[in-house]
Amino acid sequence: MSDLIFVAASVVFFAIAVWYVNGCQSLTKGGRHDA
Amino acid sequence: MTANGWLQIAVFFVLVLLIAKPMGLYMAQVYERKKTWLDPVLGPVERLLYRLTGVDAAAEMRWTEYGLAMLVFSCATLLLTYAVERLQHWIPLWNPQHFAAVEPYLAWSTAGSFTTNTNWQAYVPETTMSYLTQAFGLATHNFWSAAVGMALAIAFIRGISRRESKTLGNFWVDLTRGTLWVLVPICVVYALALVSQGAIQNFKPYDTATLVEKQNVTTTGTDGKPVTTTVTTQTIGMGPTASQEAIKMLGTNGGGFFNANSAHPFENPTPLSNLLQMVSIFTIGGGLCLTLGKMTGSEKHGWAVFAAMSILWFCGVATCYWAESQPNPLLHGVDQHIVQTGTATQSGGNMEGKEVRFGLANSALFATVTTDASCGAVNSMHDSFMPLGGLVPLANIMAGEIIFGGVGAGMYGMLIFIVATVFIAGLMVGRTPEYLGKKVEAYDVQMAMLYLLIFPLIILGFAAASALLPAGLSSLSNHGPHGLSQILYAYTSAVGNNGSAFAGLNADTHWYLVTQGIAMLGGRFLMIVPMLAVAGNLATKKIAPPSLGTFPVTTPLFSVLLVGVIVIVGALTFFPALSLGPILEHLLLRGGASFA
Repeated sequence: MSDLIFVAASVVFFAIAVWYVNGCQSLTKGGRHDA
Repeated sequence: MTANGWLQIAVFFVLVLLIAKPMGLYMAQVYERKKTWLDPVLGPVERLLYRLTGVDAAAEMRWTEYGLAMLVFSCATLLLTYAVERLQHWIPLWNPQHFAAVEPYLAWSTAGSFTTNTNWQAYVPETTMSYLTQAFGLATHNFWSAAVGMALAIAFIRGISRRESKTLGNFWVDLTRGTLWVLVPICVVYALALVSQGAIQNFKPYDTATLVEKQNVTTTGTDGKPVTTTVTTQTIGMGPTASQEAIKMLGTNGGGFFNANSAHPFENPTPLSNLLQMVSIFTIGGGLCLTLGKMTGSEKHGWAVFAAMSILWFCGVATCYWAESQPNPLLHGVDQHIVQTGTATQSGGNMEGKEVRFGLANSALFATVTTDASCGAVNSMHDSFMPLGGLVPLANIMAGEIIFGGVGAGMYGMLIFIVATVFIAGLMVGRTPEYLGKKVEAYDVQMAMLYLLIFPLIILGFAAASALLPAGLSSLSNHGPHGLSQILYAYTSAVGNNGSAFAGLNADTHWYLVTQGIAMLGGRFLMIVPMLAVAGNLATKKIAPPSLGTFPVTTPLFSVLLVGVIVIVGALTFFPALSLGPILEHLLLRGGASFA
């Protein structure tokens, strides 16, 4: 059970980091900086 | 302090200085895909790897794609290491001591620690990790995490040097070339050099030695009564140490094969191996300054950045060496046999927690270098330093690991500080800030500030929680200001991806394993993303020719201003915490107080 929690927590952290990438990108000149 | 000590420090710095340029130019050749003398051997290996993995080496990536590739790679390798640790008891290969599976909390924290180049070790390696876990789970991460850091630094440098480009290179290519052309060849030679000095390299079961003198050890039995046992033998750890040691230092990872790390004679046998280890910590970080100079077409700028890093390094080592040379006032007059002044046969000063074979100068220098550079390897115990001596490693990490820094991480961290510096310089003269012809605008500064703020936010947040909660306080070996220093050091080291410890804190508890795991991941990846955003944004800009209003980034004035910005940002952020920890401890120690 612990293994499942830690694997899930890791995946969730990196999913948040991906969302964070999009968040930082969206701040650039109306979000279309490198579109 | 002695002339001999200063001479050894000077020899160290001269070696770093001599290596920087050839190393930097070589790395520029590697990452710009120009010809190197290793191409005939490594070129076919590289092409085979791309064919096997389906990587299109010619494809370029935008900063978002570069960042996503890095995150996917890091997530996958973290889970792989976690699996190796949890399954080590099922894999008969290279587990002669028959170690059980690593406990889940510890396995996760360790996997995160090695993925982020932190290498904080909340375990005793020689009683926890099989040879397979050490070699395949941890040493591979030493290569990967270092290569990731170098790739990211190169991506930032491309962001500065490219004109109106939407891309920063190819993450997979940079990762592969950094590993194959830089890390692996140096480590092969380096590991053999360590073996020549006496570092061990084998897969044998542990040895047992009969003690010359029997030892009586008293412990507390299950019924609470003291139990005395006579110990007649000692188990001596074995294993593939030299190969892990080489990348541990070169990649600024720092995770020791043995618990005593570079104080262990099998990891760091001689003063020469000690010098090699210290120089190798700065080799790539120093070289990257010249890679920056070469790739941006301004070698003088590379040297200006190198000079700023050197000033900060020197301030650190001078303070630490001075502090450790001072006698401990609490020991003064306690016993006539305690000698705290230097003589022909006594080093004097504070030798607690230090190896006699390395002495004061090499302990202070190692502590400074390892914390300048987010390495985290230790050859002395930082917890035993005098309060101001211990303040130096702590302050070095708090500066953001940019004094030569972690491989790659130090360079991109310093570049963020440069963005902040030229912004401040621009405000001073009332001009639009520029950096090597690139206008630094609102978005760049916002992302730079995000980078700079995440760092203290995680450190101080977790440290404050640990200073309040019983789960945090129960791990301390000292109370009062020294206890606060232990907590502060633990999270600073985690977020700074350093990995060294104030050894007095027991971090092998669920609270510390989980919060430090989060701190390490946050300190690495939540800072990389805004850094890449700055790089991606800078790459899209034109390069304007220098004008009268341009702040030159090749002069001593620039180096001094850069140092000033780093010190002011660090001081404003962390001085209150430092004043309650090591500074208060120093003042109380002078008044005769200590804290058990």
